Amino acid sequence: MQHVEAADEQAGRSQDPVARALATVSGEQVPTQRACLDLARALSGAGDAGRAVRWAFASIDAGEDFAGWLAASRLWQRHRDDVPRPARRARVAVLGSYTTTQLTGLLPLACARAGVDVEVYECGYGLYRQELLDPSSGLHAFDPDVVVLAVDAAEVDLPQLADDPEAAVEAELGRWTSLWDLARERFGARVVQHGVVVPPDEPLGHLAARVPGSRSALLRRLQERMGEVAASEAGRGVALVDCERLASDVGKRVWSDPRYVHAAKQAVSLACVPLLARHTAAVLAAQLGASRKCLVLDLDNTLWGGVLGEVGVHGIALGAGAAGEAFSAFQRHVLALKDKGVVLAVCSKNDEHLVREAFEQNPEMLLSLDDVAVLRASWQDKPTAVRGIAAALGIGEDALVFVDDNPAEREAVRELAPAVDVVPLPAEPAGYVAALSRYPFFETDALTAEDAARTAQYRARAQVAEQRESAGSLEDFLRGLDMRAEVAPLGPENVARVAQLLGKTNQFNLTTRRHSLADVESFAADPAWHAQVVRLRDRFADHGVVGVLLARRAGAVLEVDSWLMSCRVIGRTLEDEMFGVLVRQARAAGCTRLRGTYVPTAKNGQVAGLYERLGFTRDESADGAAGEGATGWVLEVPEEAATPGLVAVQVDVAAGTGPRGARGLQQDGDEVPAQRRQEQEVSR
Amino acid sequence: MSETTGELLGEDGVDGRVLRVFRDVLGDEELQLSETTTAKDVPGWDSLAHVNIMFSLESEFGVQFTDAQMTSFADVGELRRFLASAAG
Repeated sequence: MQHVEAADEQAGRSQDPVARALATVSGEQVPTQRACLDLARALSGAGDAGRAVRWAFASIDAGEDFAGWLAASRLWQRHRDDVPRPARRARVAVLGSYTTTQLTGLLPLACARAGVDVEVYECGYGLYRQELLDPSSGLHAFDPDVVVLAVDAAEVDLPQLADDPEAAVEAELGRWTSLWDLARERFGARVVQHGVVVPPDEPLGHLAARVPGSRSALLRRLQERMGEVAASEAGRGVALVDCERLASDVGKRVWSDPRYVHAAKQAVSLACVPLLARHTAAVLAAQLGASRKCLVLDLDNTLWGGVLGEVGVHGIALGAGAAGEAFSAFQRHVLALKDKGVVLAVCSKNDEHLVREAFEQNPEMLLSLDDVAVLRASWQDKPTAVRGIAAALGIGEDALVFVDDNPAEREAVRELAPAVDVVPLPAEPAGYVAALSRYPFFETDALTAEDAARTAQYRARAQVAEQRESAGSLEDFLRGLDMRAEVAPLGPENVARVAQLLGKTNQFNLTTRRHSLADVESFAADPAWHAQVVRLRDRFADHGVVGVLLARRAGAVLEVDSWLMSCRVIGRTLEDEMFGVLVRQARAAGCTRLRGTYVPTAKNGQVAGLYERLGFTRDESADGAAGEGATGWVLEVPEEAATPGLVAVQVDVAAGTGPRGARGLQQDGDEVPAQRRQEQEVSR
Repeated sequence: MSETTGELLGEDGVDGRVLRVFRDVLGDEELQLSETTTAKDVPGWDSLAHVNIMFSLESEFGVQFTDAQMTSFADVGELRRFLASAAG
């Protein structure tokens, strides 16, 4: 038989099964459960366990077909040991009032999908109270971390009509909370309680809505009271699965099919067991801290209609019109997620300035830039951008959920950033809210005051991280340049170049004093003048003389007359090193104070804050002395200046001297060699 | 693998869909069924699996078995003929 099958296989399927299954998946706006499962099977057959498991997970995200879930579960079981196990683990006992075998069977798969590795135990149906109480029970031997109370309304002991509704509900509530207490006391276990589904059959009809003693009203009240207790101190470690909401979503006559209830004690239809398994897993994972934290949003045709780059800031579909309303509704839903603590990020192939304009200027935008912790609008590929968002936020990629209308982008992220969850959006924007709302892994275990502020916190964190990141990479870049500076005094070999720089440098120029060559030559000969003529080399080039600092000594004050740098070396921390040399010059000359002046021009705004950054204080008495708008700055000469140390500095200025060769007045040796070198490597 | 006698179900059409369900539910990709296959011929086809199979066939073919049918199909052949006529 084996060979017959193989022959069939060959006759019917000549193509590579993985390629064929991938083509099917790629051809669908929202890949079906079946297509994802077929791909998982093909990958499994090809021995690609990691991707097989990912697509098995994608298949159970895509639908609730029971047989498909069973198949996915088997496929996952087969490769369970081939893929990394989640760090979070739990022993989960399912205590049910009905046949929970299928639920228990699917729970390990659902939990693995939610990021928790579980081992399950199923208690005999209807025996949960006994198993909780009996120390010799299988449940005690199993010693669970989590107890799932999978019960249905039939198990709730409330009458069709109660005389004293309040008392009836409290008595029944006590019966359930005592189970929670047992689970917590005996095992220290957390509890996941399946909530009550109010049956659609109510003998009192609409009157039941007005009669607090009706069974429908009692069940609703019980559910409400369970929620209250679970939210209180007494309910610590207890979470509820809102089965009423799940059943309402699919329809209550789908949720429970009496034929299967009677024939097989299936209180929850097999059509809904996958849904229940998924949400039980989501609540359980949230209890264990495995929920997702950040929603990464595409923009064009996701957050608004149309392509921003084509239709412009005011041309995107938002607000008015059916299409616009759908996108607005989606934005409202996204904002509600943000309010419960989900961090928002944007990942869009767009020009950032245009995106910012759209956020700021389109009056229909409900989301503001303040709502977005990280905004990545560029032409970078999305998997890389998404990973960058995780890095900027300082969270794992497995905390991210990526939402995009474009199947190709989603597949790229699935393949290249596999830890990121991907939510497919349907073709029609009207379906966006449901698609995102049915995504279950933003579940949180509790709501705190900090949740609403979380985006702001992450935003601040991301900004710091980005600064650090850019500082880090800039520092690495500069360090990698292998920069070497030589600082020389004024001399015949450089006065011409100094005069030229004085005459033409505009941007990094503190005073823009255009001293002539004759002036410079006279400074060179005057011991009161202390100069730095700086030449810079790096591993790419010898930039020649690119920095000049001229200072004049008057008593104990060394005053900076001119300070400039060629624009090609701006931003390399060279000015900091020149300042370091200036401090050493001042100390060597016996000066106790440095003075500096900033004379603003149309082009030198970038150095307006230089003296302040270097620690100088403003000397308003000197303001205006050097022209209109000029500011004066002073600094008591420090022991030494801390510099970034990214430039190796070789100092050839004989400290405390003006003209080359002469030593300072306090120096004792007049015959000290004129070109004495102080070689100093300054590096960290 | 079970003893299968009689005509094997094919991989296409109604037969293929029936096979798919049985393979998914029973977790056996190699499973073959014939007209005369019954539950006792197939490992794993117990009462729980039977419920799973019947439900999955209902959902695959969009039909509802009667209470009697849930337990009364004599063999795969009878089941398959019912589904073929319901799907036709």
